[in-house]
Amino acid sequence: MRNKLTILLSLLLTLLVVGSCGKKNGGDEPKKIAVIISTLNNPWFVVLAETAAEKARALGYEAKIFDSQNNTALETDHFENAIASGFSAVLFNPTDADGSIVNVLKAKEAGVPVFCMDREVNSPEAATSQILSDSYSGCVTIGKYFVQQMNKKGKYVELLGLVGDNNTWARSKGFHSVVDNYPDLKMVAQQSADFDRNKAMEVLESILQANPDITAVFCGNDAMAMGAYQALVAAGLANKVKVFGFDGAQDVVGSIKEGKIVATGMQYPKVMAQTAATFADEYFKGKRDFPKKMPVAVEMVNQQNVSDYLEVAKN
Amino acid sequence: MQKKVIKYTVALILLLVVGYNSVYIKKLSEVKAASTVGKFDAAAYAQTFWKEKLTPGLTKANNLPELLTLLKSEKENAFKNYSHALGIGNLRYFLIKGEGKITAINENDISVTLLPDSVGKDVKIATEFVYGNAVRDALGILSINDFSNTMDMNNVSAELNKKIRTEIIPPFRAQAKKGDVVAFTGAIELNQAHLRLDEIEVIPVSLKLVRD
Repeated sequence: MRNKLTILLSLLLTLLVVGSCGKKNGGDEPKKIAVIISTLNNPWFVVLAETAAEKARALGYEAKIFDSQNNTALETDHFENAIASGFSAVLFNPTDADGSIVNVLKAKEAGVPVFCMDREVNSPEAATSQILSDSYSGCVTIGKYFVQQMNKKGKYVELLGLVGDNNTWARSKGFHSVVDNYPDLKMVAQQSADFDRNKAMEVLESILQANPDITAVFCGNDAMAMGAYQALVAAGLANKVKVFGFDGAQDVVGSIKEGKIVATGMQYPKVMAQTAATFADEYFKGKRDFPKKMPVAVEMVNQQNVSDYLEVAKN
Repeated sequence: MQKKVIKYTVALILLLVVGYNSVYIKKLSEVKAASTVGKFDAAAYAQTFWKEKLTPGLTKANNLPELLTLLKSEKENAFKNYSHALGIGNLRYFLIKGEGKITAINENDISVTLLPDSVGKDVKIATEFVYGNAVRDALGILSINDFSNTMDMNNVSAELNKKIRTEIIPPFRAQAKKGDVVAFTGAIELNQAHLRLDEIEVIPVSLKLVRD
């Protein structure tokens, strides 16, 4: 009888010890949230990361930022470390829409919810929720303004972002869903400039040699819009060709005010980051019915309303 | 020699069997039909939404002059109680109704002065650039979880707008004249952080000329 009691007590003790080892952040310690970001070599993503971490801390959690340096293998290491170190949620900006799926699934298997910010992974089931700019709708609005500014006719060029990036095509499709209804608007070239300012300048310089009579350039982001504008200045066409961008970068908003760029789409990285942290908080409190994708409105900035956005762009 | 014949015959039979099982020929129409099975049909969804939700839901439309007054005096209250959007952010949509006297028929829109005259407010009814999510979102009964991906949501907006551009606007534009009174329902988009009430553009859902 005494032996049985000893065995029972030992078993209970073992269960208690094992249970406490498996428990993440037990006791009064706050839960930990990992903020894993594609790259911190770009100020836009720094804002995204810092805002997510700040919001997580404001909600009472520990937060740590991991820089994937645009390297999916390094991102995998961050996920493995975060899971092993007992992080309870990941606020995530993926390096690759397809390549990052496996990392999100690893976290899911470990019971760690992942909330994507700004960039998505191409799996509807992997992440708990993906909070993304409504690039398509933003470019519908820009497309409408583009047609109005062009009086429904003329030749134009489209500079695409990275062809493997979902945002590139969401923006292009939104734009064309309006512009393609006007047959007198002719797209003479559609080329990728990888979201890069210098590449956009080179690509447009080359296009202008064969098409000096274009009257507009639609760019998939603001860096390319600035590169396109530089190419037009160099070719002496800056006053004849209208440039449209997307992002809401400070230099482009300033250029809209100066009349150099016609319009852009203002994105809100802080809203995306804060929403992701809030969703994690709600998850810890028991909520499970999150939208698989949550679009964040993109607002068009043009010369009529640019004064409303000068401060927004600074922040 | 006999062995060789048997060897080649077996090889030939094997080749024929493998070849036969490697190539399938199907009618193109069957393949196309199979690829659309289970796909979201935005046009059908938009038609059902229009008939069964939006049209009956127009009884909930806000009187536009009253809404504009509320937006001036109690902006937050107006947005909180009467605006909707599937996503998050500053852009919100209101379902509205009103009457107005046509003051100009322009290439891309129709200018109206809201009635009664005491309202003293001009708005534009879009007749060319009918795009965006106003009509899809303004009623506030759709949930983002109703759609498995964002492209489906975008396509519903595109189909609703197409219906307005092709079925609602052309018969109205063909009859409308300056000085006519129009009764309208529709949706408007407003930015809650940067509110501009001097640029109201109505995306129409119904347009009816009211002549004396």
